[in-house]
Amino acid sequence: MKFKLTTLACLVGMSLAGNALAATDTSAEVKKLRQEVNALNAKAKEWEEWKAPKTLVHLAGFASVGFTQPEKGTGSFSTGSFSPIFHYQFAEDVMMEAELEFEGSATGASVAGIDYMTIDYFMNDYAALVVGKFLSPIGQFRQNIHPSWINKMAAAPVGFGHDQAAPNADVGMMVRGGFTTDSGSHNYALYVANGPTLEPNTAGTEIEMIETPGLNQDVEGAKVVGGRYGLFFAEQQLDIGFSAAVGGTSVRLSTTNYESARSYQVVGFDMTWRVAGFDVRAEYVSQKVGDSSSSSITDGGTWTAMYAQIAYKFNPSNWEAVLRYGQYDTPDAASDVNQVAAGLNYVFASNVVAKFNYELNTNPNAGQTAENRMLAQLAYGF
Amino acid sequence: MSKKLLMTVKTLSASLLLASAAMIINPAVAADKPSTKGDVGRGAKAWVENCVRCHNVRDPKELRDDQWITTTYHMRMRAGLTGQQTRDIIAFLQMSN
Ligand code: HEC
Repeated sequence: MKFKLTTLACLVGMSLAGNALAATDTSAEVKKLRQEVNALNAKAKEWEEWKAPKTLVHLAGFASVGFTQPEKGTGSFSTGSFSPIFHYQFAEDVMMEAELEFEGSATGASVAGIDYMTIDYFMNDYAALVVGKFLSPIGQFRQNIHPSWINKMAAAPVGFGHDQAAPNADVGMMVRGGFTTDSGSHNYALYVANGPTLEPNTAGTEIEMIETPGLNQDVEGAKVVGGRYGLFFAEQQLDIGFSAAVGGTSVRLSTTNYESARSYQVVGFDMTWRVAGFDVRAEYVSQKVGDSSSSSITDGGTWTAMYAQIAYKFNPSNWEAVLRYGQYDTPDAASDVNQVAAGLNYVFASNVVAKFNYELNTNPNAGQTAENRMLAQLAYGF
Repeated sequence: MSKKLLMTVKTLSASLLLASAAMIINPAVAADKPSTKGDVGRGAKAWVENCVRCHNVRDPKELRDDQWITTTYHMRMRAGLTGQQTRDIIAFLQMSN
């Protein structure tokens, strides 16, 4: 930028100087020239100020629109989601990052929420303190792949949606950062947070799902402590991550009434490998809820999901092909899904992608079914 | 000790443990932060290696100098980059936009 500005100033200066010499009234011309140079200097200073002021404000985010055609029902257009991201940064010390999520719904009301909102304090080159509501650092999909322009498929892998096997968000505090050694780049996140709650089915006989929207209250008084440790080998373009968390959770009887604590555990493994033009990703996550003899629902349960995805971009064309296999296993036989999804993407730009997917969904349990779907989506990250 | 109090003590100790773990990682926390300036050459290498890990690489020309600062700090959090890598990448992006 500096170089460009200086060049520009020189060029303007030279042409103006040429004019001035040719003119008869030199002093008037010189005065005019001075004024113009001063104006240019002021402009240049203004541009320089964009480079590193103390307070920075930036609006980013992503949005998607789409069409979904289930195998048997009618197809529908939908506004996927609109997720503005706000960044406010003070010098190199503090950043507020927040992502809102607006989603259309089938009934007309749109659903708005805070996806995350944290104040980050950069303590030193290797650690930052993050306080607030954050995307769960367990695994890679929820924190790094969920934005529609990043996910190479139109939908999340089975089990990685809201309130399924992969924890979504949490409210608490976290220390995260990275350091490098000879073996590679290391990154870590350690957190303590309010943790999830359990939603019973309508009959109140079973736990229907583990809710991880990131609640502002710790209903049963047992925090969750955990984290992720990741290794990145730059030369091999290989990322691997291990995650785990333990703590307590409880069944919600009503919006104000919760049972006492029972145990909660989550483990995860994730990897990404870019090799020979292929982009390979895989992830496994399992959340386990303990039994509780004092509860109206004594049985706990385990929610497990995994996927493996491979993508290939046919450079220099804009087409990209994606194949993904996923499994979602829950205590409720009707919710289990095995999925094979195939997709063809048209990558207009690195942040604008049109996706065409077909999902083959099957339920592995006897007497249960799952429906196939066709999805089309246009995603834009900004 | 009541169960509630025990929980509070547990949470506080976990939080303290977290904070002290962070302090141990860099013993120089209490001192001034090392603010070695960003280096364009190192930044170019770090950009090529790191900025394709999660999504398609974003063109340096997409954003203004100031916007690259917030964005790269945001990505530092996502990717676990060090402060030095962050400053190097910002220097590279600001030169290339
Ligand atoms: C660990 C995964 C990961 C890595 C590595 C990564 N990004 Fe990102 N990037 C994301 C995610 C996730 C988002 C979407 C933001 C969100 O949802 O919070 C994003 C968003 C962006 C955006 C859109 C603006 C914004 O802030 O949302 C830009 C530009 C960007 N990244 C550039 C970069 C650059 C430059 C690098 C290299 C320093 C990089 N990314 C490395 C995960 C990553």
